[in-house]
Amino acid sequence: MESRLYLPEGEILRVEDLVVKFYTYAGVVHAVSGVSFYVKNGETIALVGETGCGKTVTTRAITRLIESPGRVESGRALFRRPSGELVDLLRIDTEILREIRGKEIAYIFQDPTSALDPLYTIGFHIHETIAEHSKNAKKKYTFKKAVELLRQALIPNPEVRVKNYPHEMSGGMRQRSVIAISLSNSPRLLIADEPTTNLDVTIQAQILDLLRSLQEQYKMGVILITHNLGIVAEVANRVYVMYAGKIVEEGTTEQIFYNPQHPYTKLLLRAVPDPTKRVEKLESIPGVVPSLINPPPGCRFQPRCPFAIIKCASEEPPMIRVEDEHRVSCWLFEKS
Amino acid sequence: MEFVYKALKKVIWFYAGIREKLSRGWITKNSSRIREWELMAYAYSKSPIGVIGGIIVFIVFILAVIGPIISWEPYWEYKIVINESYRYMPPCLTPSCSGNPLLGTDEWGRDVLAMSLYGMRISFVISIVVVLLGAPLGIVLGLLAGFKGGIVDEILMRVTDIFLAFPGLVLAIAFASVLPQRLRGVLEANSVLRSFFASLFGLREAEYGQIAALLSIWFAMVIVWWPGYARIVRGSALSVKEMPFIEAAKLSGLSTWSILFRHLLPNVISPILVMMTFDIATATLFAAALSFLGLGPQEPVPELGFMISKAGQFFPERSSHVVVYLGSLLLFIAIGWNLLGDALRDILDPRTRRAIEYRFEKEEKKRG
Amino acid sequence: MVSFLARRLITFIPTLIGVLLITYLIAYAIPADPVRAWVGEKLMNPQTLEQIRIKYKFNAPWYEQFVFLVQQLLTGQLEDPVRHRNVFTEITSRFGVTVEVAIVGFLFLIAIGIPLGLLAAVFKDTHVDFAVRIMALVGSSLPAFVLYYFLILLLFVYTKTTYLAGIPEPTIACRTTVSILPQRVPVLGHLASALGNVPMFAAMMCGEFSVVADTFKRLYLPGLALGLLNGGFIARIVRNSLLDALSAEFILYGKARGLRRLSVWKHALKNAMVPVVTVLGLNFGGLLSGAIIAETVFNIPGIGRYMYEAIMRLNFPVIIACTFLVAVIYITVNLVVDILYAVIDPRIRY
Repeated sequence: MESRLYLPEGEILRVEDLVVKFYTYAGVVHAVSGVSFYVKNGETIALVGETGCGKTVTTRAITRLIESPGRVESGRALFRRPSGELVDLLRIDTEILREIRGKEIAYIFQDPTSALDPLYTIGFHIHETIAEHSKNAKKKYTFKKAVELLRQALIPNPEVRVKNYPHEMSGGMRQRSVIAISLSNSPRLLIADEPTTNLDVTIQAQILDLLRSLQEQYKMGVILITHNLGIVAEVANRVYVMYAGKIVEEGTTEQIFYNPQHPYTKLLLRAVPDPTKRVEKLESIPGVVPSLINPPPGCRFQPRCPFAIIKCASEEPPMIRVEDEHRVSCWLFEKS
Repeated sequence: MEFVYKALKKVIWFYAGIREKLSRGWITKNSSRIREWELMAYAYSKSPIGVIGGIIVFIVFILAVIGPIISWEPYWEYKIVINESYRYMPPCLTPSCSGNPLLGTDEWGRDVLAMSLYGMRISFVISIVVVLLGAPLGIVLGLLAGFKGGIVDEILMRVTDIFLAFPGLVLAIAFASVLPQRLRGVLEANSVLRSFFASLFGLREAEYGQIAALLSIWFAMVIVWWPGYARIVRGSALSVKEMPFIEAAKLSGLSTWSILFRHLLPNVISPILVMMTFDIATATLFAAALSFLGLGPQEPVPELGFMISKAGQFFPERSSHVVVYLGSLLLFIAIGWNLLGDALRDILDPRTRRAIEYRFEKEEKKRG
Repeated sequence: MVSFLARRLITFIPTLIGVLLITYLIAYAIPADPVRAWVGEKLMNPQTLEQIRIKYKFNAPWYEQFVFLVQQLLTGQLEDPVRHRNVFTEITSRFGVTVEVAIVGFLFLIAIGIPLGLLAAVFKDTHVDFAVRIMALVGSSLPAFVLYYFLILLLFVYTKTTYLAGIPEPTIACRTTVSILPQRVPVLGHLASALGNVPMFAAMMCGEFSVVADTFKRLYLPGLALGLLNGGFIARIVRNSLLDALSAEFILYGKARGLRRLSVWKHALKNAMVPVVTVLGLNFGGLLSGAIIAETVFNIPGIGRYMYEAIMRLNFPVIIACTFLVAVIYITVNLVVDILYAVIDPRIRY
């Protein structure tokens, strides 16, 4: 019994009220508590937040990649397939989901070394990804395509590299290989989980440029997960700021950077030092990320919030509109 | 398992009390270590296999120590000399039977139950000492090789390779068949050694020839055992020595031995302790196997493996009770050590540690 | 890969030399009175003793002794001074039998251990898993010879099954064919002829499969025992390694790429196999040792029984020769396992 699925024109993904819980020995962890966001064709959205705020869990939950003891409890993930058909990823048949994974929605995992099977070559990884989604993929064809993809990912000597095993490559090359693998089937949506965190700063810039140009080329929607605001400023169109399993602020990149409303967002931005200014002390956000096992009532940021008022400890603020496309979940803006 | 935890906690604090008396402030300085021990004691008390294994090992230990003392039949008397029918008498279990040995007799008419008490002492001593000698030998050499690297490492690796090139049993057989000659001569000459080993094994000095055979098994097993430890410790040492804290220790001018024992060793010790516990079980069975093959003490020494091999000749018509009982005894001993090793491995596993700590703190809070 | 092979083969030689050294230690250096040891505890007249002393160079310096020993071992000439027979001819015929026992045991081990391990992984934390743990515990706590007696009790006494006394052998025609192979075909022929010392293999090469079937009928009991003893342990290794592989990040990434269930399992199994192959290879030495004990209990005319008799009679040259040969076989098997390991895991090839 589904209500009619509807996705606004131009949107490729819309997630509504996603709830994910983990049933552990210590109790039930409310990893994601009602997250909603959307992605338009060809745009890049950034999911920003500290480690442990639920960014990765959110993106994996969309395609039901959450494994026990985790469970996707409720929510909807509406996706527009290339055929034009609209599906709710959280409810469709597993076989159709498998078709979509790797072909229409692709992932870039954070650690390229552990994402690759050490016993198989890069070329095989690509071959596999293509072959599992088509009826008759001949090895000759897939390996030629693999070389092409590696070349696109700016890997030098792709004809040689395609026969390499993961341990025969450097970290940067492995990450580029993972990007190449993810793009094997020209996906419409790319979910990149901290694609540059484990890399040198110089390589980071290259990878970002690569992602940007590939996005233009393939016309993909991109969900970029990161805790690095510098990257966000570079590549993202819109930003969702997450904290403790909830989205606390969302808006375009300019809005978030020039007009941050949520105290957490403001503190995050302040924590990034400006290399042109002299500072006496590095700013940090006092306190620690809360345990999500028995979340207290009210706003989750309240214990660390320098501006908290009494209401914050008892009632959770709803998403309040600040300006077009800019919303914040904070009682301080109830008036506006 | 509450009482187990309480008992262990008393032991820990007793030890802490002694150290405190020796050097004031020891408790406060080592408070985190003490907490670590409490945590391990808690984890142990919560592990059913650990407690069962511990109980079995405890029983074995007690029996091994008092066995030869409480055994009611001297092993050097051959009852069949008196009466042929004493050989391989079946077990006397039902009420109708009385006066005859509970579990039957062996080849020489001796009470199997009484003989097994001697046997347990022998098995226990051999297995413990082999591991307590072989392991440290291998550990020290492995630490040296891993830490020093270079030529020292290469040489040690070649040597362990050579020893590991023989299947353990075969190597032990080879050594155990040559050593008795020499050792017999040594024991013949030296009465102090004779009486020492005789009392250690619970035997008479007159059997020094057989004791020589026992010692040969000992030596042979130590030779077989140490390379394994050397290899593993070397591997761990290699990976740990690159860590910054070792470099810091080197820079602060600590001597090699200091670094090896106070910094390197504690970090590689956990899997070694587990391995040692399992190895005591293996050593027990290994020694029994060597005796079974005839390399250990011969009559009249009541070694478990030897008695089984003798019984094997009349199996299964007359001597199945001997094989079943003595076999079960060996099984019992080995299970005890294996369970203990399993439990230790679970306790020392870093992955389950967080869960244990969490439950521990919860219970502490409950106790107030 | 080739360089790996070359390097691996090169380390074979020093190890072999080391084996010879140890054998020397055992034969000459350790015994207090080597002649007595070699001759056994029997009394012999002084002239014979002196002859033996000279022949085996017991009065010569250690390097001469060592060279002599190496010569004797490598040319297969060690003589049994008591029975005046060449030890090596006795050994080669029996060796094949022991290898057979070890191989049958190995097959049972794989047949029992791997399926159980897979089951324990799939039904993790259920009764099946627990039963496998118990089996591993009992298997590693039970003395092998006790299990053998127990199985004999079970099968022969209570069900009255019988077996033949000897070991099934291929026909004489087959044996001659195999023995002249080195003359027909150069390198492979030597290899085949060496393998042909194992009666089962010779029979297989000649196509005499009834002999192979008979061999299994004869050896299933010790094979089963060996399999039961070590099967639990192998099962646990398989279980743990499979569970480890399944929880690896690349498995999740494979699912994220839309791989079919079958393909995901292929990845997991191949990765899980790596530590299992290592353990199986390491266990082979244990199988050989187990075969030695099994032969004494089941009355199998292999090298174990031969060694046992030699120990009983303190027949030294036999013990020396057997130890040496067993070591050679063992390091050869380890070499094969290492190569196999490198074939499966590309990371090892350096």
